[in-house]
Amino acid sequence: MRAHGSYDEEASDEALLSGVAIGDDRAVLAFVRRYQRRLFGLALGIVGDPGMAEDVAQEAFIRILRHAAVFDARRGSVATWTLTITRNLAIDAVRVRRPIPTSPEDRTFLSLVSNDRSPDDAASMSESVTQARVALAALPNDQRRAIVLAVMYGRTASEVASLEAIPLGTAKSRIRLGLAKLREAAAITEAS
Amino acid sequence: MSRQPEESMKCDALSDDLIEFALGTLAGRSRSRVLDHLDSCAHCDAELESLAGVVDTMLWLAPEAEPSLGFESRLIERYRESDTRRLTVRRRRASVLAVAAVLIALLGIGVDAVLTTHGNSTNPSVTARPTSGRLTADGIVVGHVTISSGSPSWMIMDVDAGRLSGVVWCEVTFANGRVATVGKFTLSNGYGSWIAPIKASGSNVRSARLVNARGTVLAQATFATSPSLRDRSDPFEPTTRSTG
Repeated sequence: MRAHGSYDEEASDEALLSGVAIGDDRAVLAFVRRYQRRLFGLALGIVGDPGMAEDVAQEAFIRILRHAAVFDARRGSVATWTLTITRNLAIDAVRVRRPIPTSPEDRTFLSLVSNDRSPDDAASMSESVTQARVALAALPNDQRRAIVLAVMYGRTASEVASLEAIPLGTAKSRIRLGLAKLREAAAITEAS
Repeated sequence: MSRQPEESMKCDALSDDLIEFALGTLAGRSRSRVLDHLDSCAHCDAELESLAGVVDTMLWLAPEAEPSLGFESRLIERYRESDTRRLTVRRRRASVLAVAAVLIALLGIGVDAVLTTHGNSTNPSVTARPTSGRLTADGIVVGHVTISSGSPSWMIMDVDAGRLSGVVWCEVTFANGRVATVGKFTLSNGYGSWIAPIKASGSNVRSARLVNARGTVLAQATFATSPSLRDRSDPFEPTTRSTG
């Protein structure tokens, strides 16, 4: 790898990926430092085990770095691409190695729906993410569980039905209603 | 956005599948049906965009966490190793592809010559031109496809799809909607290159795709329009769930 100057904290994600694509190791390091806590946190939230979460985050980074050159900004942000790859790998890891935690007391459920954030956390979260947390916490329990199972654990509607011991139609309905409310809340935030 | 009643009914019938598509949990034929519908329905395309935005935002809700000491250095070391291995594989593959490209070019010239000799072509320069496109998954290019014109024609496919390994099937769809399997191939560490005959006119091929044993579409190339796959899955995802 080569080095080409340095990247400060202001460098855009796209600029870092461009640097990665041409083999600039400083860009690789800057990108990893920017996203490692985020990716590891997401992986940990899904798989629940720190060792497994590190494996997932490492694999996610390798894929992202290897494919930096073909990232298409027209299809979404670097952050979304990065988080989606991590989420999918974490879901795979959970499917293979560990049963899905479905208890309402599960750490991911709690961390996702809690509004008890430190001031630092709150400051670092964008308005839309803060709003999404509030909207998720406001959902009825059954809809929130269905949404978290689907989004964070990659469960299909039929799997949600089986896990929750409810008819498939009910599972679909909970997911649909939950998503609709989250979307509505997001639209209100955007408009305000 | 006004829709015809029958179009609206189709959208309603696919609404649950569209949600699962946005969640990345739709697989198999249902997934193909949604993809086909999205190609012609701006309403559902916009709906998908909106649902996907909600799902994407949720991924930010997991709190950040500090990995263990040494995470960064282990990762950088691993990345450098994988980068070196890739260069070696790429060089080896490049020589195979160079031979294949010459073959395709020769086939194209051969078809051109035949058509011109027999006076069956009014525009030989167009009929003889090979079709080529990018193989994509989740908007990411994971390979290239070239198909010679004429019948039978030849396909050359070159794949670099991350950790995806094992047996995949290559299918093509013709202008009349017919789907044919070109062959069964093996990807090793995400890499694969092959040449295979297509028992029909290559110029009628509209799309090509790679599927796994369960019928999940792993990657796709479209020739009639710009290459694009509204696949929200991880592109290197070999399971039936969701690239991209």
